[in-house]
Amino acid sequence: MTEQKYKFLSTPRRPVEDRRFVAGRGKFIADFDRPNMLHVAPLASHYAAAAINGIDASAALAMPGVVDVITGAELAAAVQPLMNGLNTPNVRRFPLAVDRVRYAGEWVCAVVAESRALAEDALEKIIVDATPQPFILDAETALLDTSAPVHPEHGSNLLLDRKFVWGPVDDDFDAAAYSLSFSVTWGRNSTVPIETFGVLAEWNGWDQMLDIWASIQMPKYADQIARSLDLPGNAIRVHYDVDVGGSYGVKRGIKHSVLVGYIARKLGCPVRLIEDRLENMRAGDAHGPERKFDITIAFDQDGTVRSMKMRALDNAGAYAGRAPFQLGKPISAIVGPYQINSVAYHALSVTTNKTVQEAVRGFGQAPTNYAIETAMDRVAEYLGMDRLALRQKNLIRKDQFPYLIPSGSYYDSGDYHAVIDKVLTAADYPAMLAERDRLRDAGMMAGIGIAACLEPSGGNSSFEPLLNQSNQTSTWMESCQVNIDALGMVTARIHTTSSGQGHETLVSTILGEVMQIDPELIRITRPNSLESLPGNSPVGSRMAIMLGGAAARAGEKLKAKIMAIAVHRLGVAIDQLRYEGGDVLANDGRRFTWDEMVELAHRQYHNLPDGMDPGLASFDIMQVPTGDALPVDHKVQMYPCYSFEFHLLLVSFDPIIGRPDIHSYVIGHDCGTVINPAIVSGMTYGGIAHGIGAALFEEFAYDTNGQLLTQSFLDYLMPSSHEVPAIQIVKHCTPSPHTVFGQKGSGESGYLGAPAAVSGAINDAVSGLGIHFEKLPIRMSTISDAIAAKTS
Amino acid sequence: MKPVRFDYKRPTTIEEACGLLASDDNARILAGGQSLIPMLSMRLSRPSLLIDIAHIPELTAFVETETHIEIGTMVRQAVAQKSKLVKTHIPLLAKALGHVGHPPTRARGTVGGSVAHADPSAEIALVAATLGAEITYRVDGADEIFDASNFFIGPMLTIAPPTGCLTQLSFAKAPAVCGTGFHEVAPRKSDYALASAAAQINFAAGSGVTSIHLGIGSVGDFPERLDVDQLCGTPLDDAAIADAIHAAMQVVETVEDLHATAAYRKRVATELAIRALRDARDEISKDLNQ
Repeated sequence: MTEQKYKFLSTPRRPVEDRRFVAGRGKFIADFDRPNMLHVAPLASHYAAAAINGIDASAALAMPGVVDVITGAELAAAVQPLMNGLNTPNVRRFPLAVDRVRYAGEWVCAVVAESRALAEDALEKIIVDATPQPFILDAETALLDTSAPVHPEHGSNLLLDRKFVWGPVDDDFDAAAYSLSFSVTWGRNSTVPIETFGVLAEWNGWDQMLDIWASIQMPKYADQIARSLDLPGNAIRVHYDVDVGGSYGVKRGIKHSVLVGYIARKLGCPVRLIEDRLENMRAGDAHGPERKFDITIAFDQDGTVRSMKMRALDNAGAYAGRAPFQLGKPISAIVGPYQINSVAYHALSVTTNKTVQEAVRGFGQAPTNYAIETAMDRVAEYLGMDRLALRQKNLIRKDQFPYLIPSGSYYDSGDYHAVIDKVLTAADYPAMLAERDRLRDAGMMAGIGIAACLEPSGGNSSFEPLLNQSNQTSTWMESCQVNIDALGMVTARIHTTSSGQGHETLVSTILGEVMQIDPELIRITRPNSLESLPGNSPVGSRMAIMLGGAAARAGEKLKAKIMAIAVHRLGVAIDQLRYEGGDVLANDGRRFTWDEMVELAHRQYHNLPDGMDPGLASFDIMQVPTGDALPVDHKVQMYPCYSFEFHLLLVSFDPIIGRPDIHSYVIGHDCGTVINPAIVSGMTYGGIAHGIGAALFEEFAYDTNGQLLTQSFLDYLMPSSHEVPAIQIVKHCTPSPHTVFGQKGSGESGYLGAPAAVSGAINDAVSGLGIHFEKLPIRMSTISDAIAAKTS
Repeated sequence: MKPVRFDYKRPTTIEEACGLLASDDNARILAGGQSLIPMLSMRLSRPSLLIDIAHIPELTAFVETETHIEIGTMVRQAVAQKSKLVKTHIPLLAKALGHVGHPPTRARGTVGGSVAHADPSAEIALVAATLGAEITYRVDGADEIFDASNFFIGPMLTIAPPTGCLTQLSFAKAPAVCGTGFHEVAPRKSDYALASAAAQINFAAGSGVTSIHLGIGSVGDFPERLDVDQLCGTPLDDAAIADAIHAAMQVVETVEDLHATAAYRKRVATELAIRALRDARDEISKDLNQ
């Protein structure tokens, strides 16, 4: 069915990065070693909240091999607070706690020693004189006037409190036949990469240069280090040729980096800090959203959903981090794939005495999708209507694109009904329903999960100016450089690290397509930050759109130059020429070959057109498509592209045991034109696995003393290959009108809908008992206990 | 996650191991290391001397006697799982071994190490307690034997002598006609179980059911036997099994954590015990009908 439009794009090609990873030849942060390198171990707070009265490190400093102990007080006097993007100047965050600790696990001080083991030995000798203080774990409690602020200087626990009304919400509620309200809670989880965060810093005083190698996935990383350390931007050199062992948003160890940067400068030695698993989980400051939704939804007897009121309260943890902005991205798809006419959105973010949040796959979109899809299930239940039919009724139709949603974004393209039809066919939906009923007759609890949702991609970070009016961000550019050397070989530069997204494959495939050269022959390099053009790293499902776009545009610029040389050389008009496989062919049969062209450009200036620069190099700094304006009236076009996914699965469990078994899982996925099918499928499989984890297993859970209970993989349960079923991906392609090949983002695919779908399936299974599970993860014990309470 | 500094010794005889153990109050024996090594890394265990017993040949012995199968403490779980002796004579252990960890951990983990470690959810400990296996420790040059059914007294706590070295487990051979059942429930395959149950019914031609062994694990602080002796001599119908187990479970104390409530553990252990015992019964019926 797919027309063979492309030579390399959308064809099954093995990602080029796979070779070194499969052979064990990747180069990760732990593979970087420097002579005389020192190691850092941070001391974790035992208390959820405490005043630090004093730190006695004398015994630690007296130990052989221990070089230094850095305290928060020393650091705060020497570095600037870490950036947070909101107007909360009194929510100050330093790499080490200053005067007080605000969550259990927070770094109190850091030992620098000749080995990590020695540093850990020394940690045990440090005496911290601390006075425990009251603490808050619950977000609703944090909102109360009677609750002491986590940051007293800030005056309250509120980081963000914004109310938006898009469209005639009151009128739509008045006009609707019914409304219903419910609450759901998204538990605190994250992406938990196998490789923890690590960073190595080395200061060269003669060059006044701080070299950084890090397992990083972060926009403006070098800039933020420079700001915190009060160094010029060009005194920070971040090396991008470090393979990153997993991230999906969380590898943003800015506090670690500022800390080791400071130590490296102070001591004049290379310094490395690699989190161990405990540090990663309790103080890597990389937890994901923890969010309570209160939803009221207005609808008619025929199932038409008219309007929605959503209050989203996010538990940000002890410092601002990126958490509040994760309430912003979902504004760009606040109605999901549905024609909901108006929305009231109340976004609240509060500080508590929990670990700090970081960006996590989807940047808040997966929790919101879970809330919206639960709403659709509840409306169907209320009306006694089929859940699928209700969705089909409310979905935006193919002929309505581009579709403007109430909060100001146009959805670019899609054919949601077609994707769903394909999935129903592939899954044999009637057979799935029959199997559910057969399982029920056999005494099992069985349910079908349905979720439809969007993946906003390639955006401009426009939630920043939308949520913070003093922030004037209106670009989130990405760049690519291309050079053809004197032997005719093509080399492209990308200006970021990669954490599994396959950017080398992306750029070589796209350049190969544009230049009509075998991608295998194209070399991809990663210069350091000082040799790089501006970029914003792989966040927000943007690289296929933005890096792919920049690569294509840089390639087109080179082609334009080649054509200009050919016009001059062959003496014919450009419309008499065509570019073919690197050569230029004239209509009269003459061929200007690639090798001749390279020879001219590199050696024969006299044969080039007048005024043309020699050489064959180009670059492109690409602006985000559609993202050229600041918000107006609290509305903004936030993302250019919207990928669609539709999940369908069958779950069953024994009513006493309560352990969900996923029988079959089918996802329909439309992310426009696919660059590399294996990479997109891999993202989707992994996203669904991650979503199953969020729905059933994964949670950073705290006890009543504010201690993190899930500090290792012993208790933080991630789904294994035993728990993730075989997944069938049904592909559909609605190209985006805004991108070079019609591609959209897919970096968050699967994860954005799987939690909603799995939750829906379990709720369908217990629907006969009048049970609603309203918090993720849904543990087997919770399932069994709820059934026992209803049936005993 | 780096261990506290420790000395490491690798004895080649049991006597040498026992001598080392006696030489340092803070010595610990390293068997397969699947629990101890992570505990060392997290500094939850802080021995000054680690005695690696992997190089003591006697400890990997696998001996069949007239009445028993003796398994050396260092026999790897994967080896025991594949053993014909275990399959033939300790069918309940054979069933349980597949639930112990994962293939890679079973390749390192040992039968004796699991028993000595005494995790409340350990499958081998549950089977040993259920069947009343004999646990042999070498103490001061002599063998001391413990009955596994009252060996475990708390989480990671046993009545083992502090200076003894566990040398072997001895299981009575199952009779020619017997039935077994083993069930466990965990959030993910091979996680620490939230509840587990093991059952064996011994049968003799002429006298019928001679004994019923039933135990539950993961529910309280240690594996426990359930007394259902009253079922001997009955037809073992479903209702009688359920009644006996419900009654026996009345006194069982259960623990609670993030992953499961106490009520869940009790409810599910009850159900698994019923299923295990029914499985055992059905195996015998099948045997007898062949």
